[in-house]
Amino acid sequence: MTTETEVKKRKISRIEDILNNDVWDVDYEPHIIVDYSKCRECEWKPCIRLCPAECYTMVGGEVLFSYEGCLECGTCRVICPEKAVKWEYPKSGRGIHFRFS
Amino acid sequence: MPLKIIVGIKWVPNTTSVNIDPKTGTLIREGIPSVVNPHDLTAVEMALKLKDRYGGTVTAISMAPPSALAGLEHVIGMGVDRGILASDRAFAGADTLATSYVLSKVIEKIGEYDLIIMGHETIDSSTAHIGAQVASWLRLPYVYYAVDIEYNEQDRSIIVRRMLENAYETYKVYLPAVVSIAMHTYEPRRVKVSNKLRAKTEDVIQVWTSKDLDIDINCAGLRGSPTVVSAIDFVPKVPRKNLVFKERDPKKAAKWLIDQLIQEGLLEL
Amino acid sequence: MKHIEKRFDAIVVGAGPAGATAAYQLAKMGYKTLLLERGRTPGSKSMFGGRVYIRPLKDIYEDFEKKAPIHRWVKKERISLVYDESATTIEYTSNKTTSFTTYLTQLSHWMANQAVEQGAILLTEIRVDRLYKEDGRYRGVVVEDEVVKSDVVIDAEGINRLLLEREGIVEKLSPDHVALGVKEVIKLEPDTINNLFGLDNNEGLSWILMGDVTDGIPGGAFIYTNRDSVSLGIVVLLGEAARRIDRHIYILVEELRNHPLLYKYFKDGRIMEYSTHLIPEDPSRLMPKKLYYDGLMIVGDAAGLLLNQGYTYRGVDFAAYSGYIAAKAYEKAHGNGGASEENLKIYQKMLEESFVMKMLRKFSSVSRLMKKERLFSTYPQLINLLASKLMHIEYDSYKLKEAFDEARKGRVGLIHIIKDLWEVSRKL
Ligand SMILES: Cc1cc2nc3c(=O)[nH]c(=O)nc-3n(C[C@H](O)[C@H](O)[C@H](O)COP(=O)(O)OP(=O)(O)OC[C@H]3O[C@@H](n4cnc5c(N)ncnc54)[C@H](O)[C@@H]3O)c2cc1C
Ligand SMILES: Cc1cc2nc3c(=O)[nH]c(=O)nc-3n(C[C@H](O)[C@H](O)[C@H](O)COP(=O)(O)OP(=O)(O)OC[C@H]3O[C@@H](n4cnc5c(N)ncnc54)[C@H](O)[C@@H]3O)c2cc1C
Ligand code: SF4
Ligand code: SF4
Repeated sequence: MTTETEVKKRKISRIEDILNNDVWDVDYEPHIIVDYSKCRECEWKPCIRLCPAECYTMVGGEVLFSYEGCLECGTCRVICPEKAVKWEYPKSGRGIHFRFS
Repeated sequence: MPLKIIVGIKWVPNTTSVNIDPKTGTLIREGIPSVVNPHDLTAVEMALKLKDRYGGTVTAISMAPPSALAGLEHVIGMGVDRGILASDRAFAGADTLATSYVLSKVIEKIGEYDLIIMGHETIDSSTAHIGAQVASWLRLPYVYYAVDIEYNEQDRSIIVRRMLENAYETYKVYLPAVVSIAMHTYEPRRVKVSNKLRAKTEDVIQVWTSKDLDIDINCAGLRGSPTVVSAIDFVPKVPRKNLVFKERDPKKAAKWLIDQLIQEGLLEL
Repeated sequence: MKHIEKRFDAIVVGAGPAGATAAYQLAKMGYKTLLLERGRTPGSKSMFGGRVYIRPLKDIYEDFEKKAPIHRWVKKERISLVYDESATTIEYTSNKTTSFTTYLTQLSHWMANQAVEQGAILLTEIRVDRLYKEDGRYRGVVVEDEVVKSDVVIDAEGINRLLLEREGIVEKLSPDHVALGVKEVIKLEPDTINNLFGLDNNEGLSWILMGDVTDGIPGGAFIYTNRDSVSLGIVVLLGEAARRIDRHIYILVEELRNHPLLYKYFKDGRIMEYSTHLIPEDPSRLMPKKLYYDGLMIVGDAAGLLLNQGYTYRGVDFAAYSGYIAAKAYEKAHGNGGASEENLKIYQKMLEESFVMKMLRKFSSVSRLMKKERLFSTYPQLINLLASKLMHIEYDSYKLKEAFDEARKGRVGLIHIIKDLWEVSRKL
């Protein structure tokens, strides 16, 4: 049985620690390019909450995108209301390498 | 005369993704895919640049288990002409001495070569021995940490620029020679579909066993390896501070970083 | 643009279940087949929930159940409606089974290897940039500055289908037509899995959870037991999520892992992998007007051929079977003089006659049903309140009718319940 104390001990991991279990061969140039000027116009900024790898973050009040941890799902491409995301798959076998999914 | 180049590539676990089990403190090696040692891709790129400039051939060699064929296919995909895999149970458990011995025998068997290019070091053991040791076995000159190579056809020599901490050294070396390339000097080119197709459909990869090579079996593999790892000590945990610079201006960020380092007594201006 | 001399009968783009199976069947029938995959190995870009229905695959691959990477046979099915810290669960156990759990990374790899064994040439690390057209006909693919040519191209690029968009064959994906899946694979010893879920070796569990698991966004959660791990994840309709989600999506998965009802299963586990992928959710909107063009056939997720039955997905078997049919269709077209549009029509016809399109038509209204808010929040709440009235006895006990009225009070009208029940029973 799950005891009360165990439930209290339960913890939400940080996304960094969860992503740490994945394997990439990161490309040296980004496969996704974000036009930040359009992000300024974007009110709801769904990418911040919906990119499962948290590649989109808010830094100093502005959107910052980093491609390195991308899991290549395509979500940001599909949800961006401002067409700010230029999206490709990485070349030459680079990017995420799933093993147990 | 066009250049005949040999490049050494090592098939290594992608150590950038090796994790530590938070519960047991041991490395999790399950399912870690292997890659071509990234610094060797830099070496391959250097070789291909020379081939583009001066003509010739590039042969990739590797001592590894058969799974490394995928690595040879990758570099052939980049434009390497052919690959040779030295693979044999007798080669297993090799230290750098036994590895360089087998590699030098592979190179001897290839016979015709002008230039041997190695990566700077490997991401899985980082000894950077192999280049120097191969050069010793073959009694060739060796230049380490090169960033640029120019070829002089007239007297069959190369001009090698070598990077030091705060200067460059330039050497003139007569071929044949061994050169290792400084990491991150070049971005490796992409694979091409025509080249990948060649790797799959033409006979461009050979696998050589100990029988194919003129080797003393006592100098290969575990038997030929005098190095003993006597203990592994873990680096003590250093308590870390976590400071974040929250603005976006790079100039301000640099200034801030320098100030922090000075404050910590890590930097003097 | 450099044209590569070697020519193929067929080029297949993408080594997922659809493409690998098409290549397998084409090579088996003796066609010169080139299978192109952008990943480093086939399967390295694959991700799914966790369960595959075997029957169609047995028609395609010989001795499938003996050779394929099968983790566990699904013998226990659970569907739970979750509300707060309680859940009402239906469990079905049977010794008979029609499905198994696996990693799609392994299954795709295995299928691509079968294609290679039959003589197909598999090139990995190759990202196709465009389909190649000659005189208005599809005749190969473009990779960087090179063209590889073939008599026919099979597009099995999966749901993101950049190539089809580039050709103007489909429109850009709308968030309302796809769902987003996010999962954690959690390492547990086989014995631990057996004990926790009441399974024998090789026996698997499929567990769907609905209700309080997706912050009220239409969708649900899944748990599948693999050999020595458990896949745990959520699926949300992307359009709704984009409009409504107010926390980071990964938190939903983490909260699920730490849910009071589930925590006991995962507390000793370690996360092995975190992965995500889009899912075709509305076949009627996603399917291109036709699945064949001069020199081109579209299969699998790229064609929107995924069946959502509400409590289970059939994507892998549908994808594989569509690839299989495309290969068979090419054989017919070839016999009739080539892969012209006219001759490839047979692909669509064969697909229409197969279980693939029959089932998709039969369940065509499920995706609309899945958008019904009441199904994801009100009913799980209602049912759990009802259950708690009946089960949590202190002094007084409730009669069923009493409990039902009490639970329903102010939440949903009887008429609505009857209407919804009718709709669900018709559509599912
Ligand atoms: C903190 C630090 C400080 C250091 N300081 C110094 C210093 O002051 N001076 C100094 O000289 N060194 C120093 N080193 C070591 C040096 O930088 C290199 O790490 C070392 O020389 C490389 O050895 P390696 O085992 O990684 O490379 P090797 O394993 O020797 O690999 C070198 C190359 O050989 C080839 N090769 C290797 N294995 C194979 C194979 N199986 N098949 C085909 N080809 C192969 C590849 O091209 C590879 O890139 C230092 C290292 C560290 C980490
Ligand atoms: C969260 C989730 C849960 C699911 N659960 C289940 C389930 O339990 N059971 C089930 O049966 N189905 C399930 N599915 C659906 C199933 O995974 C898919 O329907 C199935 O994988 C589709 O196969 P496919 O071959 O069409 O596409 P994919 O599997 O997506 O394969 C496409 C392949 O093409 C490659 N590719 C793409 N573009 C290019 C290019 N330009 N050049 C070269 N290669 C390219 C990709 O790398 C990939 O390997 C689920 C899906 C998701 C996302
Ligand atoms: S959704 Fe698009 S426009 Fe909005 S913040 Fe994200 S990337 Fe920028
Ligand atoms: S493709 Fe997916 S993982 Fe990559 S940045 Fe976009 S949303 Fe994030």
